[in-house]
Amino acid sequence: MTSMTVEAVRLTKHYGDRSAVEDVSFTASRGEIVGLLGPNGAGKTTTIRLLTTVLSPTSGEFSIAGHPSTASAEIRRSVGVLPESSGYPAHQTGGEYLRFFARLYGLSRGVARTVAAELLAAVGLDDRAESLISSYSRGMRQRLGIARSLVNDPVVVFLDEPTLGLDPAGQAQVLEIIRGIAKNRDATVVLSTHLLPEVEQVCSKVVILNHGRVIVSGSVGEVISTALIKQSAQLRVPLDRVERARNVLAGFPDLTVDQLMEQPDVLTLAMDRPRAGSGSGSSDLMNAALAAITAAGIPVLRFELEGARLSDAFLKVTSEAVA
Amino acid sequence: MTLQVAPPDVTTPQDEAVVDRQSGWVLVAEQETRDLWTSGRGLILLFLFSILLSGVTYLTSTNQALNFLEQRESVNLVLQLAVAVGVLVTLVVSADGISGERERGTLESLLVTPVSRRSIIAGKLIAALTMWFATFGITIPYVWVLARDVGILGQALALGFLVGTLVAIGLGSVGLLISGLCNSNKTSIVASIFLLLILFAPTQLPSGLPQGGFFDVLLRANPVASALAYISSVLVEGQSWTEDLVLLITPLLTAIIAGGALVLAGERLVKLTPGVNAG
Repeated sequence: MTSMTVEAVRLTKHYGDRSAVEDVSFTASRGEIVGLLGPNGAGKTTTIRLLTTVLSPTSGEFSIAGHPSTASAEIRRSVGVLPESSGYPAHQTGGEYLRFFARLYGLSRGVARTVAAELLAAVGLDDRAESLISSYSRGMRQRLGIARSLVNDPVVVFLDEPTLGLDPAGQAQVLEIIRGIAKNRDATVVLSTHLLPEVEQVCSKVVILNHGRVIVSGSVGEVISTALIKQSAQLRVPLDRVERARNVLAGFPDLTVDQLMEQPDVLTLAMDRPRAGSGSGSSDLMNAALAAITAAGIPVLRFELEGARLSDAFLKVTSEAVA
Repeated sequence: MTLQVAPPDVTTPQDEAVVDRQSGWVLVAEQETRDLWTSGRGLILLFLFSILLSGVTYLTSTNQALNFLEQRESVNLVLQLAVAVGVLVTLVVSADGISGERERGTLESLLVTPVSRRSIIAGKLIAALTMWFATFGITIPYVWVLARDVGILGQALALGFLVGTLVAIGLGSVGLLISGLCNSNKTSIVASIFLLLILFAPTQLPSGLPQGGFFDVLLRANPVASALAYISSVLVEGQSWTEDLVLLITPLLTAIIAGGALVLAGERLVKLTPGVNAG
């Protein structure tokens, strides 16, 4: 099987005159965690629903695990989905719930029992397997939903806002599970979320949507770079070496160096022209500047990069799209 | 707590020992039926029905003892009540089938499984029909009490079961159609109850529908009224089962048309947005 598991080509969904998703294209491979980002109403959920055959596209094509969009039954066998704000039957236990879904995928009663038990253990719910779902906390329900999305050992797992409404500990648990899905199962995870710092940690690829269109996609570095986020850094050196440090940094024409009035031993370094296209352009320049300072024998008391986070890129590209 | 999510230790789903060839509709029907009865919804409706039936049976027995009501009429009255209420609860449960799952957020999880939309509908219809079967089961002892002395027990039970099942299938299918088309669950249930009341109302007129060509057509076009009229004609008027069989045409057509519509439109009805064109 090819390592490419998700391929969306110019996917479009219209409701009458309203466009929910327009020309969305991206790919994902095995073991990859793709962050599907965007403000509310950007088209993330619609994109997931299109790729999981819950909705039919108005135009465009896609394939999941090598199955074309027309093979909806095969696609459903290949994917696991945690829908946004998924509901759960209050009168079932977690074990019953998973066993039922396992059987819908064709597993025999005995195997469904085994799979359900293993998945409940994997998401830390084995001790609550026979408790009613109505007694579960929100975090437990989300973990149960993730377990359900894995009953068919899917090639691609779609998780729509899996951390919504969870406390920081719950968010961390869910993110750890997501890492485990990609790493241990070699599955592709398409993750829709608003937790940008966490996306930065777990996602190997990011697709930012706004008004139904892909604004930017690529690795986190590429997205930051494409957004032309101006990266800066603060460098603290001994006060008597400040002048020498400035002289060394003068060798970098793309850098603007300033001295803080209130902290004269701190220099701010800013890129004049952020570089598009190369994901690590600004980082490379900062690293080179730092290397030059240490090579000149100037002690570095502190060095902090600023202004090059995914959240900065997200805000920039989505606000530009609005403007 | 371990959070390492490794694949389950089972063989591939293609393995004969692993794969269960049980149809999706059977699984959905099993689960829906279990939900209906373990959640208490089914039991509450059944309990209310048994109170109503007890009251009606007591009153008809008393009237019969005072010679105000012929015994066959007592049986007919109780059986008609069972059919009417059994169909009502079946309709209410089926009206919740799709719109209710949409509102509770449980439908999407079902839609992303390999089970076809038609199987989901079939499973839900069967689960709703268990309400009718349970209602009928509750009715049996009451009918036995009233019918044992006039020798129509077997006939009354067979008639009630067959006619009631036919009407329940038809109106249960209508309930699911309404549920698929309605924006909200409340609208779906209210519309379904309203529909049943419209169909049931003519049977409750003190002297029945007036006689005459127009009213005969009206009676025969109404699946509930005509089904109840058929039961009366056999049980009270002593007609043979085949004599007024024409009265069952509308209940049969309702079952065929509504069931057929579910089969044909099923793929477009069971979805996150109501209606058959959206989504």
